[in-house]
Amino acid sequence: MTTEKDNDLEQQDELFDVQTEPSQSDIEAELLLARQASGRRKQDAPAAVAKRIALRTVTYIILLVGAFLMLFPFLWMVLSSFKTGNEAALEFTFFPKKWVWESYHALFTESDFPIFTALGNTILIEVSVIIVGTFVSALAAFSFAKLKLRHKTFWLLFLMSGMMVPYATLMLPQYRAFEALNMTDTLWPLILPGFFGNISMMFFLIQYMRGVPSAYLEAARIDGASHFTCFLRVMFPLIKTAIAAQVIFWFVGIWNDYFAPSLYLTSRENMTLQVLLGQLNSGTSAKYLPMSLAGSVLSSIPMLIIYITCQKFFIESLTISGVKG
Amino acid sequence: MAEKILQAELEADLAPEFAGGEGAFGASLGEEIARARKPKKQKHSKVERRENLIAFLFILPPIIGFLIFTAISVGCTIIFSFQNYFARRGESEWVGFIHYLNLFKGMGTAGTLANSFFKSVGNTIFLLLSIPISMIFGLGLAALLRMGEIKGGRVLQVIYYLPAVSSAVALNIVWRYIFQSNGILNTAFGTSTPWLSDDMLVKVAIILKNSLNGMGGAMILYLAGMLNVSKDLYEASSLDGAGKIRQFFSITLPIISPVTFYLLITGLIGGLQSYVDAQVFAKGGSGSHTIVYFIWQQRTNGATGYGVASAAAVLLSICIMIVTLVQFKFSNKWVYED
Repeated sequence: MTTEKDNDLEQQDELFDVQTEPSQSDIEAELLLARQASGRRKQDAPAAVAKRIALRTVTYIILLVGAFLMLFPFLWMVLSSFKTGNEAALEFTFFPKKWVWESYHALFTESDFPIFTALGNTILIEVSVIIVGTFVSALAAFSFAKLKLRHKTFWLLFLMSGMMVPYATLMLPQYRAFEALNMTDTLWPLILPGFFGNISMMFFLIQYMRGVPSAYLEAARIDGASHFTCFLRVMFPLIKTAIAAQVIFWFVGIWNDYFAPSLYLTSRENMTLQVLLGQLNSGTSAKYLPMSLAGSVLSSIPMLIIYITCQKFFIESLTISGVKG
Repeated sequence: MAEKILQAELEADLAPEFAGGEGAFGASLGEEIARARKPKKQKHSKVERRENLIAFLFILPPIIGFLIFTAISVGCTIIFSFQNYFARRGESEWVGFIHYLNLFKGMGTAGTLANSFFKSVGNTIFLLLSIPISMIFGLGLAALLRMGEIKGGRVLQVIYYLPAVSSAVALNIVWRYIFQSNGILNTAFGTSTPWLSDDMLVKVAIILKNSLNGMGGAMILYLAGMLNVSKDLYEASSLDGAGKIRQFFSITLPIISPVTFYLLITGLIGGLQSYVDAQVFAKGGSGSHTIVYFIWQQRTNGATGYGVASAAAVLLSICIMIVTLVQFKFSNKWVYED
């Protein structure tokens, strides 16, 4: 508001008072402002500085306390995983009295909790779903972004409507269907849906692909490349980073997924890491407590490494989905 | 974002000449010449038809996936909600709206189905409290980071967002350990609060935990929103004598309202489907049963169980769809434009 008014006034100055140099009046005004400002600053300088320092300090303290609260569960997880069962369950020293590898050792050796099998299962789901699913999503995104497709809007809406449906609606019939196919307690219910692509990934990729100049693709077409070759040889290399970012999210999402796997997987040798962790948590013996914490530490480490190395991706994509709408 | 893509597509549909004219892919040289020579009426040339077919083949897998895993599943859930299901015989019978009625009949009386359904609805709604709490704290943190010209803001962002990318199971295990009756929280304060066994306290614990875990995401989004506020506005208002607090409430808050809206909606959609807290954190304690937990538990509850669970799932989905539609409808209007 005020800036507009100022501009208007200045323009009027220029219009009516052509003789006086506008730059001169500008300088004068600025000098006046500067003098006022410096005068103000001089008057209450020590108090203002003290206030600013105090505010700064309080801000830092609040932010650091918050950061500590955020890190505390992780710290506590790591520290307690090195305690003996009884110490973890009954006594409360912050640091372990004696650092023991007991829980980790038990995790690796106890056949009740086959953690390596669980890791293998998780990776099997990750790899198969991500390779096939990414390919399918990217191909569909390519079609939506760059090819001539009749009723494109309809198909986009059609696929988008699926994003509105919560998993809670789908789980009952899906479970019954997989039950009929004798596939409950196998990894298939977790792998099969992924083969048909990931709609939110597709939407992200459509947007990236729109930014790729069509001239590249036309050039390839003139050289006789098929649409599929265009996608594979021209488009795919150009949007590698966008795909990598999406793959990372998906990887983390599947790794941490608990709900669907916990519904389907009932025998320990078929469980994913997260479901096995849940099982450890429901054990009642004291030794399971540090064991479940050790398991949590182990399953968090790969995600932590990915998160810290790719933090830019995570924070930026969150921002894109939230702010730019 | 999805809306934006759709909008662009709609515009392209309305003005095909402009959209396609700028060298849309597939308009190869030969085709261009052919189009120029032929009268315009003959719209679908052989080449175009071929491209259309290929384009359709490319989007076919997601469409099939949608049909099988979403469309048919939704239809089945609706059908199941009107049926009894005898799992052993594998037979079903139609019972009309009975399951829906039973979800509401006799609520308030202990032990009835309606009562446990309403408890789970109440729990779910109560647990939604963590959304505004995490939003307020996230907003406060973002304001501190932005206005205080803090160094190391990036590191703080990474730390605050850490719980959001961590495994919910691992976090719940350690939070359960923190809250347990002889856990560190009670030890540190010398109390013996039964955080996990009391029906009310377990909800408070979940809200506390979720508020803390949700703060980071809210903070990052608010920070990004604040970057959109132009400095001119602050300068102008400070010339008018507005203090920082006044500026925050009169300038920053209205401009970042789309972020607030987004957080609220996504929080609602996620919160209505909460399950892990009930299963892992509270180990199925009755005080924490959520709607989804109720649905999954009911499934195996005799011949009517499957139908009741489906009916509850249908009701939950309707709620979530309404929330999502509100988001679609208003997301454009809420975006601040200067």
